[in-house]
Amino acid sequence: MKKVIVTLAILALAVVAMTGCGKKKERMKLFLPGEYLGENVIKDFEKEFDCEVIVENFESNEAMYTKLQAGDKYDVLIPSDYTIERLLKENYLQKLDKSVITNIGNLADEVKNLSFDPNNDYSIPYFWGTVGIVYNKDNVDYADLEAEGFGIFKDPKYAGRIFMYNSARDGFMIALKQLGYSCNTDNEAEIQEAYEWLLDMNKTTKPIYIIDEVIDNMKAGRKDLAIAYSGDAADILSENESMGYFMPSCGTNVWYDSMVIPANAENPTLANKFINFMLNYDQCLDGSETVGYASPNKDVLAKLTGEGGDYADNEAYLPVIRDNDEIFHDNEVIRKKMNELWLKVSGSN
Amino acid sequence: MKQFRRMTYPYIVWALILIVAPMLLIVLYAFTTKGNDVVTTKFTLENFVKFFSDPLFLKVLLRSLKVAAITTVACLLLGYFPAYYIARSSEKFKMRWVLIITFPTWINLLVRTYAWTGILQDDGIINTMLGWIGLGPYEMMYTEFAVIVGMIYNFLPFMVLQIYTSLTKMDGSLLEAANDLGANKFQSFLRVTLPLSLPGIISGITLVFLPAVSSFCIPNMLGGGQYMLVGNMIEQYFQSAGDWNFGSAISLIMAIIIIFSMYLTKKVDVTERGEADA
Repeated sequence: MKKVIVTLAILALAVVAMTGCGKKKERMKLFLPGEYLGENVIKDFEKEFDCEVIVENFESNEAMYTKLQAGDKYDVLIPSDYTIERLLKENYLQKLDKSVITNIGNLADEVKNLSFDPNNDYSIPYFWGTVGIVYNKDNVDYADLEAEGFGIFKDPKYAGRIFMYNSARDGFMIALKQLGYSCNTDNEAEIQEAYEWLLDMNKTTKPIYIIDEVIDNMKAGRKDLAIAYSGDAADILSENESMGYFMPSCGTNVWYDSMVIPANAENPTLANKFINFMLNYDQCLDGSETVGYASPNKDVLAKLTGEGGDYADNEAYLPVIRDNDEIFHDNEVIRKKMNELWLKVSGSN
Repeated sequence: MKQFRRMTYPYIVWALILIVAPMLLIVLYAFTTKGNDVVTTKFTLENFVKFFSDPLFLKVLLRSLKVAAITTVACLLLGYFPAYYIARSSEKFKMRWVLIITFPTWINLLVRTYAWTGILQDDGIINTMLGWIGLGPYEMMYTEFAVIVGMIYNFLPFMVLQIYTSLTKMDGSLLEAANDLGANKFQSFLRVTLPLSLPGIISGITLVFLPAVSSFCIPNMLGGGQYMLVGNMIEQYFQSAGDWNFGSAISLIMAIIIIFSMYLTKKVDVTERGEADA
């Protein structure tokens, strides 16, 4: 036993000694959602700029915000529109250095100058998309989808064949949009009506509430209807040919995840270079091909949806934004209220 | 021995900071209203009134207790005889069996539970095999059945090991004496072995019931969001609803139930042992 311990101790020392060698490289910390990077982008960036990138993942924008609030330091974050809005309001971000970010011209017109950051002074889009319905074309009547929109989730015909996205924000968005209201409403009566809509849906069709598992389950075709983000839907559609993507005419949620630099970043110079690098054609192509979400780069969009492109026949990949599609805005009071009501919907079985 | 006592001080400090202080914070949160800091603490019973006045919370609580009880009984029934068998086998086999029983616990709980999704799916292993003989497919994934299977699988080793340990401590000559006095095998099991293994059974029950009643990752992965247990509810109130006060109140109610059930099992333990000695 003693021998083993001694050997282990020597090994441990050797490892410590070895990591101590080598000259110190520049470092930057990247904080983004899980499974959101192209296969080679980090490696390529490290090689080109002779630096080290530390990648950390977060599960939700709220979790990311909590860490930032606690004083954790990062150089580049990739949060969603409504969180960027909140971070800007609370002075958590610094202006981008546009003299470094020369690739800004690569952005598609649809993702430029968005309402939460009108001049792209603070944020550069990374991925964007919509929320819609993934359905099995063999088992779901397209006429039903067109006639009912999100209402198909409470059609008794499809009882027991539904995956619902287990998130208060998306659940209430569906109900509010279907009822003809804004998904950013703060009207008590409208929220109450949406809550009753959801309770009724839960009772009528008994959906299964899951989150990321929806991707694997729909690829395997285990249910006929599901709520999904367009990028996940693109992934599902490219692996299962019977699946289709539908956006109801009542409108839905459109979202943009963008790269930002926190005010307390330790290496803003490298952070600006990173953001510029991520706008390159090759990096955008790598990311979008790997993950399935729509790229902000206009040439990449054209290539992937053009003839022979990876997503040429994929109706979920390229977001189609209509007049009644809305960007989400964060309202703390409403968020808490919806989350509590949502618990009562999914727990009411 | 004195120097050993001093060596417990680090643990005491550890426990004070990481166990006692958070517990006190939970109690404080449970009895205060939302959004006030320490300076303007306002005490209230609102959180508890809310819990007991909404049937949803009681339903989830009862469901958790039911699932934990089923899991515990199943683990006891499934675990007792293997433990008995292992304790009776030769030294060489004992070690092998204990290794086999503990083997699954070397793998992370999440990974083990995730594996069950592949087994229970509509197109999973069980339904595929049933398909060969023309049965099914049965819907097992995202049901109460899946959650209970997952819990039994994950917690069974704790039960087996506890009973096994108490049975190996038993003096074999007691059984010979019972035999000499004319007891048949069944009688000597019922009146000698079983009472002597009670401490093992009771600590086994504690080790299975407690994690089962507060588990949240197994129901989450195998039951889906619509199958909510108390653990999931607490998690949701802390994480997405952002209501730490109500979340703490539920945690406190759970803690009281757990302490009470531990007290009950202790009591059973003491009286049963008293009778066995008499």
